[in-house]
This record gives sequence, C-alpha cells and structure tokens, in this order.
Amino acid sequence: MALDTAPLLEVKGLKKYYPFKKGMFSSEVGYVRAVDGLDFTVQQGETLGIVGESGCGKSTVGQLILQLLEPTEGEIWFQGKDVSTLGKSELKQARRNLQMIFQDPYFSLNPRMRVEDIVGEPLKIFERYSKKERREKVVELLRLVGLDTHHLSRHPHEFSGGQRQRIGIARALALNPKIIVCDEAVSALDVSIQSQILNLLRKLQNELGLTYIFIAHGLPAVKHISDRIAVMYLGRIVELADRDTLFASPKHPYTKALLSAVPIPDPLLRKERIILQGDLPNPAAPPSGCHFHTRCPYAQPVCETKSPELMAYGGGQVAACHFPLEAE
Amino acid sequence: MQHKLLEVTNLQTHFKTEDGVVPSVNGVSFSVSRGETLAIVGESGCGKSVTSLSIMRLVASPGEVVGGEILFEGQDLLKLGKKEMRKLRGNKISMIFQEPMSSLNPVFTIENQLGEVFRIHERLDKKQARQKSIAMLERVGIPNPERVVGYFPHQLSGGMRQRVMIAMALACNPALLIADEPTTALDVTIQAQILELMKSLNKAYQTGVILITHDLGVVAEMADRVVVMYAGEVVEDASVFDLFANPQHPYTTGLMKSLPKMDEQLEELDSITGSVPNPLEMPKGCAFHPRCPKATVECTQIKPQLEEYRANHLVRCLHT
Repeated sequence: MALDTAPLLEVKGLKKYYPFKKGMFSSEVGYVRAVDGLDFTVQQGETLGIVGESGCGKSTVGQLILQLLEPTEGEIWFQGKDVSTLGKSELKQARRNLQMIFQDPYFSLNPRMRVEDIVGEPLKIFERYSKKERREKVVELLRLVGLDTHHLSRHPHEFSGGQRQRIGIARALALNPKIIVCDEAVSALDVSIQSQILNLLRKLQNELGLTYIFIAHGLPAVKHISDRIAVMYLGRIVELADRDTLFASPKHPYTKALLSAVPIPDPLLRKERIILQGDLPNPAAPPSGCHFHTRCPYAQPVCETKSPELMAYGGGQVAACHFPLEAE
Repeated sequence: MQHKLLEVTNLQTHFKTEDGVVPSVNGVSFSVSRGETLAIVGESGCGKSVTSLSIMRLVASPGEVVGGEILFEGQDLLKLGKKEMRKLRGNKISMIFQEPMSSLNPVFTIENQLGEVFRIHERLDKKQARQKSIAMLERVGIPNPERVVGYFPHQLSGGMRQRVMIAMALACNPALLIADEPTTALDVTIQAQILELMKSLNKAYQTGVILITHDLGVVAEMADRVVVMYAGEVVEDASVFDLFANPQHPYTTGLMKSLPKMDEQLEELDSITGSVPNPLEMPKGCAFHPRCPKATVECTQIKPQLEEYRANHLVRCLHT
C-alpha cells in the first residue's frame, strides 16, 4: 500500500453528539458523545477494521460515513469532496460508491420481496436497464456471491442465515461501489458459516478491488480480514496501527486488555488474563481526563485530569496514552 | 454404587409441527460428575439448548421429551411429578440464560427476585432473605451490594445483570448448574470477568456445570469434558485436552479449522461447505455426509453409531 497516494476516504475531527435533557425542568442539556473527534484515513483497496465494545461508537462511525446520520462536527472527504456538505443529488451519486452490509441478515432484507427484486432494487434506482438486462446483472451478482439462478424468485425466509448474508452482499455490490462498510457482518452467523462469508469478502476484495471498513467486536474475525485496525473506547480512537503491529506490540493498555480477554481455542494455552475491573462507563457521563483511567491498571493521577492526545510511534501506529506500553 | 451427578441416556425430544415431527434431540447420552464442567458445543439448531431445557423439564409445547432417561443423583427426572420437579429447580439444579435482560423481571427489585429463592426453597423470612441476598451479591463480586439489592434490573449493566443471574442460580448451592450461552451477549472484557467468576465458584463449591456454547475459545478456557453436537446427535465426546489435540469427527475438525486464529495469519480460512440440514429433511445415513470432505458412498447409506475411539473418547463416524 503506497502511502504517498491520496487516501480514498479521509475523516477529520468527526463528532456526533446526541443531546439529552436533565434536571427538574429539563433545563440542563447534556450530550452523549457517541463519536468524539475521530481522525483517520482509508486507502484504496485496504480493509480498515474498527473494534471496540458496546457503546464505543463504532457503528455510529459507519453510519456517519454513509451519511445515514448527520455529523455534529467534522469532515468526511471522499474522492476529493466533503460528503457532509453535498446537496441531495450529489449525495445520491456519492451513495452509489458507499454501500453497507448489515449485521442481521434476518432484518435487513424485506421479507415480502423476492431475491431478484432485493438485489435488483439499486439497479432500478440508479441504472436505466431493461428488465432483461437487469435480470442478467442480478444473476451475475448472485453467481459472484455463490448463489444461483434458481434462487431468483425465492423470498428471504427460504434461505439460511449465511445465504441471506450473501444476498445482502450481492445487493451491496450491485452498483460497483468503492467502499463497503461491513457493520458486524459476520457476528450473527455460526462459526462454520462465518468463515465462508469472511472468505467470500476476501475473494471479492481481490477480484473487484474493494475497500472495506470492517466494524466488529469479534477480534479474531477483525484480525483475519483487516490490514489496519482502529481500537475505539467511548467515542474516541485510543489506538490505530497495522494489524501485525497492533497484535504484537500494542501501546494502549486497553488494546492489550482487549487482546488478552479473547478466549483462545486451545486448552493448553489457558492463561492468566488481564481482567479489567468494573464496567464500561456510561457514555453520557464519561470519566474525566483519559476515559479509560477508571479501569486502567496503570492509571496515574495525571490520567484523571488530562486527556491524552494521539501520539505517533512510527510505522503508522498511533495511540492515546500518557504511559504507553513498552514493546515486549 | 456411586452414582454420577447426572446421567443422560438416549434422550429424545421431538417437536410436533404441522409439517412433521422435528427430532431436535435424537438419542443424546452424556454424563456429568461432581465438580466437573461439561461443555456442549454446536451451531444453531443442533439441539444443545433443547437438551438443557429437557433436563430442566422446561421444554414448551409442541416440544416433548419422548424417550430416554435423565438420572440426577440416581433419580429419573422424567418420572418426577410437577411439584417434585419444582422443588429441584433453582435449588439443586439451576440455570443461567443467555439474555440477562429478559431473564430478570423488570418490575421487581433485585431483593425481591433474588430473595424469592431463599423465601421459597429455604423458607426464610423477608429480613433473613435480604441478608442472604446481600451476601450472595457480594460473593459474585457486585460492588456496594447493600445498595444494589434495592435496584431494578434496568439500573444495572449487562455484566452486572448476568452476575445477579449467577447469584440467583447459585443461591441454594445447587449440585448442578446449567449455563446456556452465559457470556454470548456480553462484551469481551466483561465476558472475561464472568468466566473467571464462574471458574472460581465452580472450584469453591464443587458444582457440576453444563456449559452450552458455540464458542470454542470459551470451551478451551472452561471445560473438563466436551460433547460436540450436530443435528440433534452427539458426534464426539472427549476430554477437553484430547478433543483439541486429537479431534476425530470431521465436523469437529472442520469447526476448529474454520476459526480465524489470533496467533497466525491465513489468506483463506478453511470452511465447512453448505449449511445445517433442514430438520424435516434429514439426510440418510450420517447426517453430516452432505458437508463432509471424507464422505464415501457408505456414509450416505449407513448411520454411524457413537463408538469408542479410545478410552474416554467417543466418535460417531464410519471413518475413524
């Protein structure tokens, strides 16, 4: 991946706050800082993984990139334009290139529509195909994701979870998008089906030159598919690095604890893990200073008062910690 | 003769639907000793949850246990009356469910729900039940238990709710604890906390545990023995070390190979082709043969039996 080329997508100072009212007369206004100042880039053809636990804001990031949510602040640059300032018709064109695969293959497909209409709908909206041309294109898409012509006239309920996810992928591919946001795309699937879908996503990326933003909480899957990985905690990126660096020498204590918490499928490797104390703090009232200090085993007084900035550690690794871990 | 804590023999639980009979659990046998953790692994629809509900006698209509034996401390649970069964549940056998939100009643306080166990099974009065509830919450690592005992479920986080569920399940020192995907709905760092808690409690009280999960990582971490289920049947039964070092059934090996690894990087994952068969149209012969890389003509004809591969290691495959 050449770093001198302009990134395909660039996010600058992205914020999404949800206001809520509190106090006796709803006079005080507070904010849930779902996404609190993100900066990152995505290169053409790479996969950026975003991991974190519930409420860290990872899904919100995906929805902001696709303009399904309006950012409170910040810019999202895609192909030389700030997507958040686009007008309606320009936005529609940009959306062709930005598609999404959803978590739940049961809720993301309309149960009353046939597969041909589900996968063909984006074509109907954006392309001027005849019925026959559209059908040909849909068949081509189905083949690409490992389904067949005889599936055309079936309804979603006739498919298993894995097959439904394939239908969702075919629909996302219909308009030859540049970027696909995969929001927990394999989390709801069984183990044996997960690996099928991960292999399919990898194959499609190689064949079509796709760029993925892969959002998930399951670390092994994220590690398998991502080139670079961003770790989020309560609305902020705490660490971002290429996959091997992140796994071999994490700088942020949260990254290390997260990696350590994953149960390894080998009973010979039962280990003393880093068990974080306490719960995830309430995102409406995040701790002062470094958000992680309440659970951090290395926290010092300064962590309570001063929020750490992202610092570069070479090789594209950045982390936000006052006391970064030494490489082992 | 010393009885095993739990011995399930040839359990059959069927669901009678309009389209035919679905044999969700089709002749399952296994046993659990005191202090042992048995993991039941398998994918959606393999019958692992129905097995646990059958042990608790909680299978809802149209499902029905139609055959087999469930010996708990030598006594067949399937022959017990409703009242006798109710005395056992939550007392000697208890269960933790996957969804900690929907398994607590949202309109009652923790004191009310946790105390109920003591009021019913130990006939304690309200004050004593409250004292014991607080002690229980403390045992499962809930900070500030005197206050939390007055909370409603929505005031607690997912991990805390699961701790309350565990407190409730362990309240009467059960001999057998059934945990159905206890950490699936939780975040990784919280999952690590709960697993650690379950391990320490299992050690301290010699509780027999049936852990139902689809996560082989959790199995490797927690289990002493493992039963692998596929399409309502046990396909492999071995000690955890033997199973991971020496998996025999092609389904077990397929599952292990299809996991993305934390310690190595592969371009492509091995995967099991196809998907779980429709329970109304079970394949003839071995239920796994349409997805099996080792399948031969015999496999499409002959139904393999669960046979001893070596001591303490059972496999259901014609080609072991």
